Amino acid sequence: MVISYVRRAYSSFAAHVFDIPPRLMAFMFFLILLFLPLAGISSSKMSVLIYANIFAIFAVSWDLLVGRTGQISLGHALLFGIGGYSSALLFKYYGLPTWITIPAAMLFSILVSLLIGFPCLRVKGPYLALVTMAVPLIIQLTFKWGPLYSIFGGDTGIRDLPRFFDLILIREQRISVYYLTLLLLFISSVIIYKIANSKTGIVFISILDDEVASKACGINITKYKLMSFVISGLFASLAGCIHAHVLEGVDPSMFSLTISFFAVIMTFLGGIGTIYGPIVGSYIYSVLDSFVLPELPKLLERFNVDITSAFESAKLLIFTLIVLILVIKWPRGVARFTTDKLKDLEEARDLDERGPRIWKTYKKKKK
Amino acid sequence: MLTIHLLEVEGLTKRFGGLTAVNDVSLQIEEGEMVGLIGPNGAGKTTLFNLLTGFIKPDSGTIKFEGEDIVGLAPHNIVNKGIARTFQVVRPFRHLPIIANVMVALKSPRGAQKIEWLKTMERKAADLLEDVGLSELALEPAENVGHGDLKRLEVAKALATEPDLLMLDEPFGGLNPLETDFLTKSITRMHLDEPSRAILIVEHKLYALMKIVKRVIVLHQGEKIAEGKPEEIAKNKKVIEVYMGKGTHYA
Amino acid sequence: MLIEEIILFGAISGGVYALLALGFTLIYGISGITNLAHGSFYMLGAYMFHILGFRLLGSDTPVSTSFVVLILAALIVGIIGSVAYRLAIHPVLGDEVAVMVVTVCLALIFQQLVLLIVGLTFRDPTPSVKWPPGSFLTTSTNILGVNLENSKILAFAVSLGLFGCLLVFISKTKIGKAMKAVSQDREIAMLMGINTKRLYMLTMALSASLAAIAGILITTSTTYSALAPMWRYPLALSFSIVILGGLGSIKGSLIGGFIIGYAEQTVANTVPQGGAIVGVVPLIVMVLVLLLKPKGLFGKRIEMEE
Repeated sequence: MVISYVRRAYSSFAAHVFDIPPRLMAFMFFLILLFLPLAGISSSKMSVLIYANIFAIFAVSWDLLVGRTGQISLGHALLFGIGGYSSALLFKYYGLPTWITIPAAMLFSILVSLLIGFPCLRVKGPYLALVTMAVPLIIQLTFKWGPLYSIFGGDTGIRDLPRFFDLILIREQRISVYYLTLLLLFISSVIIYKIANSKTGIVFISILDDEVASKACGINITKYKLMSFVISGLFASLAGCIHAHVLEGVDPSMFSLTISFFAVIMTFLGGIGTIYGPIVGSYIYSVLDSFVLPELPKLLERFNVDITSAFESAKLLIFTLIVLILVIKWPRGVARFTTDKLKDLEEARDLDERGPRIWKTYKKKKK
Repeated sequence: MLTIHLLEVEGLTKRFGGLTAVNDVSLQIEEGEMVGLIGPNGAGKTTLFNLLTGFIKPDSGTIKFEGEDIVGLAPHNIVNKGIARTFQVVRPFRHLPIIANVMVALKSPRGAQKIEWLKTMERKAADLLEDVGLSELALEPAENVGHGDLKRLEVAKALATEPDLLMLDEPFGGLNPLETDFLTKSITRMHLDEPSRAILIVEHKLYALMKIVKRVIVLHQGEKIAEGKPEEIAKNKKVIEVYMGKGTHYA
Repeated sequence: MLIEEIILFGAISGGVYALLALGFTLIYGISGITNLAHGSFYMLGAYMFHILGFRLLGSDTPVSTSFVVLILAALIVGIIGSVAYRLAIHPVLGDEVAVMVVTVCLALIFQQLVLLIVGLTFRDPTPSVKWPPGSFLTTSTNILGVNLENSKILAFAVSLGLFGCLLVFISKTKIGKAMKAVSQDREIAMLMGINTKRLYMLTMALSASLAAIAGILITTSTTYSALAPMWRYPLALSFSIVILGGLGSIKGSLIGGFIIGYAEQTVANTVPQGGAIVGVVPLIVMVLVLLLKPKGLFGKRIEMEE
């Protein structure tokens, strides 16, 4: 009973629980987010939401690759870090403003995605997962190398990057950053959503479902896998750039497995394959991580139990356990071809009077 | 006069470890021919299919399609050259609705190219579904659809690329007599609509197959043991032996 | 001096790396599982050695007991491995993507659990992992003009010895032959009556134990301490060696291990501050192999997507 409710909540979020089309639900969600700051949230809490937005972009991009195309990348942080560092380096060496460095960094990420994706995706096997897991790890290690210190700044990274946008719309700087990240999240997720539900997205799902059958339909699956990987990386690097300029710094932890794992956590919390799910997941994670869970040690303090030292480790452990249980119970989640797109097909604009009679009978039957 | 066969296979051999699945098989298929491929289980029919469509590489032999050597080409490239196949065990895209299943094939280079001017992909997909009688189920997710309908979906997907050679792997498998009859009629109609398209059918249900095809090739243990008109094959002693076991007479 | 160092240290690295990669290639070849928690067993081995050796027995045990501790630690990690398999991996066995997500979750869970337990019980977050002081293992021998710690020589000898034992195990024992059969054709093996579920659990235990031993050997001869996130680089190494040698090939992990061991040592000794940049070796090898010969040196049938 509880499990089936949770299951329904985690699968097609709105469509099952509230019987509202996912698209409308997502739109309503964005509306809530839009008016959230007006509810009077403190600056520190606003920071949490800003990072929720950034990681939502990150997670949504991961979902396109894994949830819709079935290619697993365990090093999404690689592109996150490359985005951030590229933008930082362009600023450091050429003093370029963010509106140049960020698109440039994103373009560079396309190159990196192709370089990494091509060898891995053209061969059958777990290679993408292995390589994407190893590369950021090794980059992190390599940053400790002496000769590179002056360029990359070693463990401290590069600091004092320009603010994302020096717009002071409201007295509270944080609020404008929040709205900016929200806007970028909205745009990114709409783009990814549109791609996922386009004809190309249909091909992605065919690869997810049955590569052999897809090949038998004449599809060059390597090409599409690469496409998915590149698009996914593009938005991950965007998230990295935003992160760099909100935090006003970059450091090797941007490449960490923990960050890559955020994408996994958020996507599974929200519903893999849904595209809007990871956004919800990001918020759930951020709220839990920053607001709910910290209450626990405070609560336990009243009983004289001090777990602050172990607390950070415990938090990640809890989330990882949750993901583990989710994956074991519902391994393939839902890569549902959203019900909205089906309605679009039904109302295909090409139907003229002499269109296939079958369509008309079908439409009549549906009503 | 030199004729270029639509499909020309010479000395095709494939071994899996110690087992020779296909042994020195040669055959030709002409434009517009309806050919049947039969043989008891394990005769190598599906292996032959996989070889012809590029899913496995032969150990030796040649395969020429429309005069061009296609050995070594990737499966999707072979599809785009004009050979399409269905699978014996249906392989639908579970998460996609029926019409989207067909649209995948229409997104391939050949599929997209073959869409008539001013027709949208959705419309072409709808037409293809109508051809196989699946229009009712167009928006149904494939995972909810019954086996018989999925068999027809396989055919629709294969037809989407308008192949010059259509290869059907046990299209009647698991169909009830009504469905079999409908599919037989569909295939016959298909052939009339597109006389230049050759169809190669692997099938166990011989009564259905023999009605459609003009020529039959018989495989046994990886070798071609007979070839000819359906009536001839039905009376061929070797073929009967192979199917019924030695020592049986067709009374 | 430099050449001899590279030759000797390369050999030693090669030997232990081969052992490390062996576990990974075994579990992949036999059950098709990409165990991303392989590095975790390496880490757990080191911690177990410390807990059993120092905590339970005290730091002044004789060397022979230390060997027993090593075996015990390996066994315990093996059990952890097969339990983890049974609980987490087995339910999702058909789905490669799910298996990978599960194993990476396991890797993180092990890391966090170790951090938690170590944080709550020990005062020292990076406990020392070494052979008992005063034994011959803490001294060095001079070979070819290079001062080699005996612990390193031991690591080399044990690794190769174990590798050899495993080869014998696979070819001579019933279980070993069953493993070989399953790695070649799962369905036929099942038809022959081999219980794949139990076999996989056993393989997992074996794989984890090997990783644990590799962890102990490497830690006792190089870093001398354990660190919860230390599983990451060994994992990357395992990937690289196995891709180079061929996924599923035992011979491949031996040769691959040595090639990468030598490559690493060469970089470490020739490039200024090479120790830090050594990580690019496995990375470059991975990418090169995938570009030039994805099958690896001795890989089995591999399908190109194109």
